[in-house]
Amino acid sequence: MTSKTETPIQKVAVIGAGVMGAGIAAHVANAGIPVVLLDIVPEGSRNRNVIAETAVQKMLKADPAPFMHKRNARLIQTGNIEDNLDLLADCDWIVEAVIERLDIKQALYRKLEEVRKPGSVVSSNTSTIPLEMLTGGLPDSFRRDFLITHFFNPPRYMRLLELVTSPQTRPDAAQAITEFCDHKLGKSVVVCKDRPGFIANRLGILWLLAGVTEARRLGLTVEEADAIIGRPFGIPKTGVFALIDLVGLDLMPHVLGSMVKALPETDAFHQIDRDLSLVEKMIAEGYTGRKGKGGFYRVNKAGGGKVKEAIDLQTGAYRPTQKPQLESLEAAKAGGAAGLLGHADKGGQYARAVMARTLAYAAALVPEAADEVAAVDEAMRLGYNWKQGPFELIDKIGTDRFVQVLKAEGIAVPALLETAAGRPFYRIEGAVREQLGSDGAYHPVRRAEGVVMLEDIKRTAKPLVKTASASLWDIGDGVACLEFTSKMNSLDPELLKGIEKSIPVVQRGFKALVIYNEGSNFSVGANLGLALFAANIAAWSQIEELVEKGQQAYQALKYAPFPVVAAPSGMALGGGCEIVLHADAVQAHAETYIGLVEPGVGLIPGWGGCKEMLARWQANPKAPKGPMPAVGKAFEIISVATVAKSAAEAQDHLFLRPTDGITMNRYRLLADAKARALALAEGYQPPEKPTFRLPGETGLVALEMAVQGFRKLGRATPHDEVVAGKLAWVLTGGPDADVTVEMSEDEVLSLERDAFNTLVRHPATLARVEHMLETGRPLRN
Amino acid sequence: MKNVVIAGYARSAFHPARKGDLTKVRPDDMAAQVVRAVVERTGIDTADVEDLIVGCAFPEGEQGLNVARLIGFLADLGLNVGGVTVNRFCGSSMQAVHQAAGAIQMNAGEAFLCAGVESMTRVPIMGFNPLPNPGLYRAMPQAYISMGETAENVALKYQISRADQEAFAVESHRKAAAAQGEGRFAEEIVPVAGVKDDGCIRADTTADSLAGLKPAFDEKGTVTAGTSSPLTDGAAAVLVCSEDYAKAHGLPILARLRSIAVSGCSPDVMGLGPIQATQKALKRAGLTAGDLDVIELNEAFAAQALACIRDLGLDQDKINLDGGAIALGHPLGATGARITGKAAALLKREGKQFALATQCIGGGQGIATILEAV
Repeated sequence: MTSKTETPIQKVAVIGAGVMGAGIAAHVANAGIPVVLLDIVPEGSRNRNVIAETAVQKMLKADPAPFMHKRNARLIQTGNIEDNLDLLADCDWIVEAVIERLDIKQALYRKLEEVRKPGSVVSSNTSTIPLEMLTGGLPDSFRRDFLITHFFNPPRYMRLLELVTSPQTRPDAAQAITEFCDHKLGKSVVVCKDRPGFIANRLGILWLLAGVTEARRLGLTVEEADAIIGRPFGIPKTGVFALIDLVGLDLMPHVLGSMVKALPETDAFHQIDRDLSLVEKMIAEGYTGRKGKGGFYRVNKAGGGKVKEAIDLQTGAYRPTQKPQLESLEAAKAGGAAGLLGHADKGGQYARAVMARTLAYAAALVPEAADEVAAVDEAMRLGYNWKQGPFELIDKIGTDRFVQVLKAEGIAVPALLETAAGRPFYRIEGAVREQLGSDGAYHPVRRAEGVVMLEDIKRTAKPLVKTASASLWDIGDGVACLEFTSKMNSLDPELLKGIEKSIPVVQRGFKALVIYNEGSNFSVGANLGLALFAANIAAWSQIEELVEKGQQAYQALKYAPFPVVAAPSGMALGGGCEIVLHADAVQAHAETYIGLVEPGVGLIPGWGGCKEMLARWQANPKAPKGPMPAVGKAFEIISVATVAKSAAEAQDHLFLRPTDGITMNRYRLLADAKARALALAEGYQPPEKPTFRLPGETGLVALEMAVQGFRKLGRATPHDEVVAGKLAWVLTGGPDADVTVEMSEDEVLSLERDAFNTLVRHPATLARVEHMLETGRPLRN
Repeated sequence: MKNVVIAGYARSAFHPARKGDLTKVRPDDMAAQVVRAVVERTGIDTADVEDLIVGCAFPEGEQGLNVARLIGFLADLGLNVGGVTVNRFCGSSMQAVHQAAGAIQMNAGEAFLCAGVESMTRVPIMGFNPLPNPGLYRAMPQAYISMGETAENVALKYQISRADQEAFAVESHRKAAAAQGEGRFAEEIVPVAGVKDDGCIRADTTADSLAGLKPAFDEKGTVTAGTSSPLTDGAAAVLVCSEDYAKAHGLPILARLRSIAVSGCSPDVMGLGPIQATQKALKRAGLTAGDLDVIELNEAFAAQALACIRDLGLDQDKINLDGGAIALGHPLGATGARITGKAAALLKREGKQFALATQCIGGGQGIATILEAV
């Protein structure tokens, strides 16, 4: 793990082993930091640690996994608050995540005061209780060390952390926690004021509330509502109703109640229709969302069927889901959010009613709940997975136009919009992105110290190399960055051309190359659509050329006279995994999902993936000797298209080497990769070419026998057997291999090409490719 | 010809591979402690021991390099005692007993330590480098058939239902759990690395719990993990001597060897191996199946055990009194010594006359030993 800062936080405690507390503990463990997890002793329980222990056991089985690696569970020490408070004595940070009751929290804080070490920091994960109330009546020594750290669920995956301090909070305490959460936990720390619901939930709950009540008032179906308040606004397709199903309906009245109670009568929460009678009725009947019997949507399994149903907002009865058909949705396809907001039908009316209220409320939160508009945008992007924050959305609509919409809807125009006076909330000034402040002036949007983003560099720089699918950038200090720019960063001839053209440019003018991009996925692999098109017109020579070109490009990267560091994040699949395998070093984001998935579409890795996996496993000092262990491992991993579900897991499979680095914070990936590249650049020598001793036919037979077993068990399909057979043929070295014969990389690459080119002509493979393109799922033929 | 007797038997606890309590124990250490215990418990003078014969099905890695010799060193037997590793897969350590018996009758020694060991955690089944002969595989694929498949073949051939297999497995666990509960294993188990109780036995096994399992080898088949012996770590050893020597030195004789046999059969129904081996041994002993009082029939799979029982006409009530391999575990190389020693010990404990120990062997073989009371 790379870490720029030496953290003063060496041990953490979490009190409260509910979903949030346990998830926070797991994520602290993901950072490699030991953590104590305590909860109460349930009445009459023989095992006094049962709550915390059960929570850890449950997390080991949960999907998506709270742990980045199962071994991290061993960093959690479980206990209870009656017997084990002494375990807190050496903790540097104590996170309280107990039930949202002030009396219980304060009683706990008093106990903490007796055991915690001087200078340790205590924070609450409260989502509703103001800091002022939490520390009321507590000694100054406690207030100085106290703040609120509001995590989002699930803590491993949600990158937002809201931080609230009081004037009494020690600045160095706030800084230590901020740095720990940023570097070690990978969070984007958004500073909030001590206002109810902080930023994301305050705005988010109002948005959801408006979404529910306005849909009912305007007579929209839940499907229509979700289609409107979803993709057109860059909001996840779960929109309003499916999102509430996901987080749980029971949360709504609870959070809403506390919000209304805490906010002044002038607040929008008091002016909006809050009739949640339908929701309350649903909760009473057990329709609490996906965790219960269902919510606004449910799957009706009556009569052995499986029918997706949605609730009728007027009658409360369920009926099969209907595809929404609204003219305004068509308008959104062409004109985006603005087109939708301008449309006259009920979809347009709904969009205006919900989004106008929501975006206006966002404007009202600055400076009331946040100092900066960028903080509100970041909170909604990371807390609710909006592609753009509310102010970015307003800019897209146009501040003037948005004010007109507000006026037409009869919504008061917030002061900040008056201040904007038609100007956008963001502007680019030179290389700097600036935001409008409540003082009416523009101020730079600052990144955290040490963060380097390609997005910022690209604002003013010109690419050194540019093809339709790749660009090369100068990221300073003698390091170049190769960026994929194709759709979903899929690999195609233009991207390979980008690699080919970049190598001499880097060689001439740079010390090192980083392969990195800021898409949601590093690369989803080869462009299957192109491959299928070529196959359909029997352009086999084109496919063969592509395979060979890919091998050449990746080999050229591997043996280039400068170091190459791959910095994947998100998915790195198939050819995307293979390019990572060819890098001299990898600096991976902790959330990297990497694997050689070619067998899923009836192919085998043909760009050196087989060769690299063989080389890595045969060089593994822990593996038993002999010709089969490396072959067997590579076969086991590739044949079932194994995808590691974290960078830590990827090291188990040797997709990443034990020496490769992992960056927890997505924003810090490029800076870490660049530092790694520069460290390698000094006295750099390209790697020596590995050689292989492969078993040949005897090994092939051994693997065939194993595949037969899987066929019998029904785990392998007929075409799996064909594909696995070809994979085995490559990995065991083909017809001429023998343990007495030393084989070169080029020989193994040639086997890869032969096997790939045979499989790609197979009708069952083409059926798999076609199915994957159409459905996004593998065909099990 | 000299009579041959079993004059001592001990074993380690048996634990599931990869998740039991013996995963961290090297097989050579495990076997050495068991062999040492047999020496100490019987009081045999190792100066008189001709050879240490160790059965092992995958003699490589920590079980490699003629592990028998190394176990002899580890057990501090004295440099005079030879060491030979034998491999007849699951029949390895029963073969060790047979080789000792043959040598004694050949007048090539008076006392032999016969042991068996397998850490299926530390040396995987098939070994680290499975390298089958391609020509043989193409011509005769069943030469390399998986054991689970043979169990399915036997179940099909003998029409043994899944329910029957499960009832058999439940019974095996019930008997083993009862024996464990009543402390009947205490005498035979040598604590190794502090482990003194078996780890595979599941007293709560019921027909219902087994009925829920998925087939383990063939999606259309009847054999599950619950009706197969588990992958196991363990070691066992017996002391084999001439009867004259044992009596002259006051060794605790458990039983006399009456006859032995091995046989071959088709590899794809290897589980039937005990049938012919037992028939040959019975004939050599001048006995019939009805004469047998105590039977240790290795439970590689419930299907295979039931087929042998039905074919040979054995009395279920006399079989595996303290449970079989489905409950206890089956550390391949160690099982032969366990069931031979166990059959001998049971003859004595139950005060009976004749005992049979028999097992099937991968590749299509059977091995059998008939014992009688002294």
